Amino acid sequence: MQHKKWMAAAAVAAAGALALAGCSSSAPPKASAPVTITYTNFISAGGNEANLTTIVKAFEKANPNITVKVDTVPYTNYDTKLQTDLAAGTASDVFDIDGVGNYLNYQANGQLAQITGADASLYSAALLDSYQTGDKQYGLPTSFSAVILYYNKALFDAAGVSYPSSSWTWSDEMAAAKKISDPAKGVFGLYQPVTYNEFYKVLVQNGGSFLNQAGTKVAFNNAKGVAAANWLVQKSGTVMPTVAQGQGTPNDDTNLFLAGKLGMDITGTWEIGAFAKAVSPWDIAVEPGNTKQASATFSNAVGIAVTSKHKDAAEKWAEYLSSSKEEVNVRISKGWELPTIANKTQLAQYLKEGAPDNRQAVFDAAKSIAQSPVLGSNGNQIQDIMTNELVEAQAGRSTVAQALAAAASQINALLGQ
Amino acid sequence: MADVVVVAGPALTIPVRRHRMTGSELAKRVALYVVLVVGAALMVFPFVWTIITSISPEASLTVSPSLIPTDPSLSGYAELFANTPFAVVVANSLGLAVVTTVIQLFTGSTAAYAFSRLQFRGRTVVFGIYLATMMIPLQVLIVPLFSELKVFGLLDSYVGVLLPSLASAFGIFLLRQAINQVPRELDEAATLDGAGHFRIFWTIILPNIRPALATLVVFAFMGSWNNFLWPLIVLSSPQLQTLPIALANLQGQYTTQWDVVMAGSVISILPMLALYIFAQKYIIQGVASSGIK
Repeated sequence: MQHKKWMAAAAVAAAGALALAGCSSSAPPKASAPVTITYTNFISAGGNEANLTTIVKAFEKANPNITVKVDTVPYTNYDTKLQTDLAAGTASDVFDIDGVGNYLNYQANGQLAQITGADASLYSAALLDSYQTGDKQYGLPTSFSAVILYYNKALFDAAGVSYPSSSWTWSDEMAAAKKISDPAKGVFGLYQPVTYNEFYKVLVQNGGSFLNQAGTKVAFNNAKGVAAANWLVQKSGTVMPTVAQGQGTPNDDTNLFLAGKLGMDITGTWEIGAFAKAVSPWDIAVEPGNTKQASATFSNAVGIAVTSKHKDAAEKWAEYLSSSKEEVNVRISKGWELPTIANKTQLAQYLKEGAPDNRQAVFDAAKSIAQSPVLGSNGNQIQDIMTNELVEAQAGRSTVAQALAAAASQINALLGQ
Repeated sequence: MADVVVVAGPALTIPVRRHRMTGSELAKRVALYVVLVVGAALMVFPFVWTIITSISPEASLTVSPSLIPTDPSLSGYAELFANTPFAVVVANSLGLAVVTTVIQLFTGSTAAYAFSRLQFRGRTVVFGIYLATMMIPLQVLIVPLFSELKVFGLLDSYVGVLLPSLASAFGIFLLRQAINQVPRELDEAATLDGAGHFRIFWTIILPNIRPALATLVVFAFMGSWNNFLWPLIVLSSPQLQTLPIALANLQGQYTTQWDVVMAGSVISILPMLALYIFAQKYIIQGVASSGIK
């Protein structure tokens, strides 16, 4: 028994060696030879599995020689699995990339193959550029989401406040929030998380920036930073619930909004589908800035492993998954995240999908992006420090200036590494 | 007043069937029950919350969960089975857990017998090395183990999932301690009657360590049932997926339907609960029947 197992292992090893030898000596397989490529993803986890299957089926129909084997991995553990696969050289031909930060890491580690055949004109230029290094494309953006302002029309009407417009600034936003808030009825005016993600964005809205030009030191420990942090921490207990009332717990803001007890909610486009069940009529607007308008956007992409043996087929699938007509249709009609294409006619379909009326705000938000700072290998730790210090200031345990100074010294030490 | 005292005096000396509690005893008893009830409520609350969330379609994880679902519905369960191959996933996990448990019982009890009853050179050293492996967390070994399985061609297979957990150092330790408690006189008597090692192991040792075996069943089954990281890394085919991974898959990048996640969690608790109730009976039985001390 034992003997047989070892023989089997030896046979497997020998077959592997033969396969390797075959690859290095013979010509690449003909285009007509059927191939199976693997695709590891997290984008479909949590409810979009069937939507991804629709796209895969359409691709296989259009490319009868290519079979796509899909592996869906939980989002929170995606990186662990991918890193193990990359280390062992068993990564899928095509795999998801969670945003620009991860793209930069994989690219720097030489784990991504250059993509040469994709038609650049199909994509939104800003998004495509995010996944380029030195004029070479190493990833194709598959989807994007923007953070926007959701508002409850009924609460605005009841308070006699006019709806948010693109000319609004923080002061208009706060004035409306104060008029709408009615703590006795559990009604709040404006919900904005007190987190690193909000902070780097409101810094840009206030003419500041999280890092200096070179990206070597923080640039928020100044008057612009204090004003931006103040904007975040002042809401709790007046126009937003306190921590004791649930602020910061999952779905706290969305539940308030669904129940018609929140005037304005600053959150991502991924809530559009969920808010269809809200009790009051609502619409969306571009998030107001202070000295300038800036919105946060998040994107996902796919890359091709350098170890892939079927790069041509992999590239076809990567392009199909990120820009084909079928993909765009599925994404728009199923309310999945937005496609990254440039074609205005196809995108116009999104504007006609019904409520909310002002869907144009999503595209307007993407015109002025507060870029996510490149934090390097200590990124997660830096984000935690920033969020913690902001929460300290919100709780009154430190002043805003003290919190920013403390965050600055800790983060500068981590950036140098 | 004096009469009362005289009458009460002898009454106290009569043995009473029912022990009447004094004030301080009663207070102690009440305090004990208050602590127990509070403790039980704290332990049970997360489960109750899980169940309530699983039947609340607009569920959230707010700080003050409502104990009375406002709009109870089984839509979370319906969605779970409609959108994911949940029955397949549960069957996969059950199969893996049963096989792991059976194999660990076999390897654990035979190794423990050897470490307890056989005399061989380096016995303590080998046992020490075995125990030392318990100190190394799986996370450290993931990449080398993974590369090893890749060479064997066992990735994306159940053999690959099972291989690292065929024998558990903890199980061997637990059973060796139990076997050490079984008097050697029993072995000697059996030897005199002509029994060999296997016979002694099967008819003398195993029946006497039932409680420890039942404990190992619970631990081995639970370990496999909850195993997340290793199957996540090794498996990639959707049809091989196990329950913890499918549960994690219910959460999206930005949004999560908590009622569906909790419906899955409730289902994942059931087999463990059943096994525990079953094994608990055996543990008590085992303790009662381990006659000689």
